[in-house]
Formats: sequence, structure tokens, C-alpha cells
Amino acid sequence: MSAHGHAAEESTFVRTYTLTRGRTRPRYLLGLETVLDAGQGRPGPAQPEECEEIFALCRERRRSVTELAGRLRRPVTVVKVLVSDLLDVDALVVPLTHPYADTDAECGPSTQLLAALSAGLKRKWPDAIAYPQAG
Amino acid sequence: MVLHTPPRSLVDAAPAVLKIVIAGGFGAGKTTAVRAVSEITPLSTEEYLTEASVDVDSLAGLEVKETTTVAFDFGRLSLPDAPVPLELFLFGTPGQDRFVELWYDLSRGAVGAIVLVDTRRLESSFTPVSFFEDLGLPFVVAINQFDGAHRYHPEQVRTALELPVSVPVVTCDARDPNHVAGALLTLVSHAVKNASTDPAHPAPTTSLQDA
Ligand SMILES: Nc1nc2c(ncn2[C@@H]2O[C@H](COP(=O)(O)OP(=O)(O)O)[C@@H](O)[C@H]2O)c(=O)[nH]1
Ligand SMILES: [Mg+2]
Repeated sequence: MSAHGHAAEESTFVRTYTLTRGRTRPRYLLGLETVLDAGQGRPGPAQPEECEEIFALCRERRRSVTELAGRLRRPVTVVKVLVSDLLDVDALVVPLTHPYADTDAECGPSTQLLAALSAGLKRKWPDAIAYPQAG
Repeated sequence: MVLHTPPRSLVDAAPAVLKIVIAGGFGAGKTTAVRAVSEITPLSTEEYLTEASVDVDSLAGLEVKETTTVAFDFGRLSLPDAPVPLELFLFGTPGQDRFVELWYDLSRGAVGAIVLVDTRRLESSFTPVSFFEDLGLPFVVAINQFDGAHRYHPEQVRTALELPVSVPVVTCDARDPNHVAGALLTLVSHAVKNASTDPAHPAPTTSLQDA
């Protein structure tokens, strides 16, 4: 990377971490796909404007950490820090998923869940081009 | 530092979330494929990656950590008519080595991956293919047939990428939702086969996550 590009990247980095008051790690265990819902609380007046934005987006519908980061145009880690602050004041909650959804992070989704996905995709795209299976 | 499990709401259950990774080289059609089936315009999301790099200027040549930014695509679709309400998240991610840290995150708990192949740049598919192979994550190879590119037979691509016969190789037009949905379906049945033939299929191990 050019010296200029490097400097530009560094200053974006500094600006971004001003948002989180220097914190580079979220307090909660949040995945890229963790979904968030608006809760009973509200973002506090001391919280940055981005917290209001996150709260407003989650009031419209449930949003994943990745989606929030994409819409805010902020890096995922930064959004995780802000989301952690919002979880602390109950402005956000992680919705309970369907009991079937107990995806094991180590082994992947259950076969029931995979079968449901297959059926759901076929219903949505009845004309999907089906391929012969190899192996 | 201790990471806390986030508080959970006890009201209405949300749809189950499943994720699929779409990997491939630059220009292979990842964003196009996500757009074809996503209900939202694909979002470009950034993450910081910390890379160990050697500072050549330092006398001792000490290893220093350098932070770089990587971007990946996000798209989603809901499947309310599935037997259980589902939401599918799609993550489009480039194929360079420096993305590997991100791939671990994306692969954890995922259904599997689609490696999009542009036959004009086959070599850019090697890194994702061997990554998913090593991780034991089910994956399929989808050959994106670009206009004007030589049409290779799937078996030629299989040979070139040294893929075992068990890995499905399909052709697709990433612009066509039916084609992309077909590739997704191929991946799902491949994942089912993997899960049922090998109940304790090789999952990302702790040592890999720590890597
Ligand atoms: N002919 C043809 N063009 C495609 C196909 N998929 C993508 N493209 C085009 O190839 C270019 C690169 O695709 P893009 O999705 O941006 O690639 P990415 O870098 O992998 O995200 C775009 O101009 C697409 O319109 C395909 O299946 N067929
Ligand atoms: Mg792209």
C-alpha cells in the first residue's frame, strides 16, 4: 500500500475508535450473524448518534450485526462495541430463536434445519435449476 | 477479558438463521450472486483484520501487528414458507489469503460454501477450495459462465482444482436467481449428505479458531 493510502487508513482507524472511546473489543459474545431486536430501553444521551441509528434500524425489524455494520458504514468490531453498550441499557435484545434453531457452532446446522432450508428454497424458487449430484 | 452472553428477549421467537458463504476471486460474480437472491441490496460491510507482519525497519525485525480493512458482502432472504420459519444470510467474500481470519468467523456454524469460479482465473479458486477442505466445511464449486469465456466442462474444472468426486461441480449464471437458488440447493443436499454419512463430521476445532 502507498504511504498515502496507509496514512488515510490509519486516520480512519483513529476516527472510528473515537466513536467507541478507544475500546476495540465488545463486551458481549456477538457473531457476524447475531440478530438484534429493539428492547424496552433507549440509547442514553451520552451515547454517540450511531447508537440512535442502530436502535432505529432494529425498531424497524430485526437486524444482524453484519447488516448494521453495512448500513452504518462502520467496521463490524466498532458496531459490536456500540451494540454491547445498547444491550447494557436494554435498548437492544437478542431475540430467542425457534427451538429447532439450535445450530451447533462446531458441527453446523442440524439435518432437520437443512431439510427445512431445502424445502423453503424450493418453495421460493420452484424453477431453480436442479443439478445432478456428484459422488 | 470475559465475554458475556447477550441477554435474550423472551417474547416471540425469531426465525432460525442459517448462513452460507459465497467465496471466489475478484470479479468471479460474488456480489452478483448475492444480489440475485437477496431481499436487500447487497451491503458492503467492513471489518478490521489484525495481521502479524514483520516491521522491516525495526532493528530486531520484531513481529508487529498491523490492522487492515477487509470488505465483504452481506445479503439476506427470508423463507417464511419453510417448515420452520427461516432466514438465510449470505456472505460474499474474496479469495485472498489475508481473508482467512474472516473465513473462520463466517464458516462457524455455516451450512457450507459456494466457491464461484471464473475459468479465466482458475488460480484464484485454489485458496478458498483448500481452506474449506481443511476446515471440513461442505462446499460446492459453481462455474460462472461468462460471455466470451471458453466453456470448460465441469469435469475439466474438477481435474484442474483437484476436487474429490464427492464435491459437486455445477455451472451457473450468477445473474439468474434460478441458477443461484439451484447452486444453493445443491449445497444444501451436499451438506445433508455430509452430515448423515459422517455424524461427527470434521468441524472447526479449537486450535483452528485460535489460529
Ligand atoms: N456474463 C456473465 N457476467 C457476470 C456473471 N456474474 C457476474 N457477471 C459480471 O461480472 C462482473 C463482476 O461481477 P461481481 O459480482 O461484481 O464480482 P465479485 O467481484 O466477485 O463480486 C459484473 O460486471 C457482473 O455483471 C455471469 O454469470 N455471467
Ligand atoms: Mg463484489
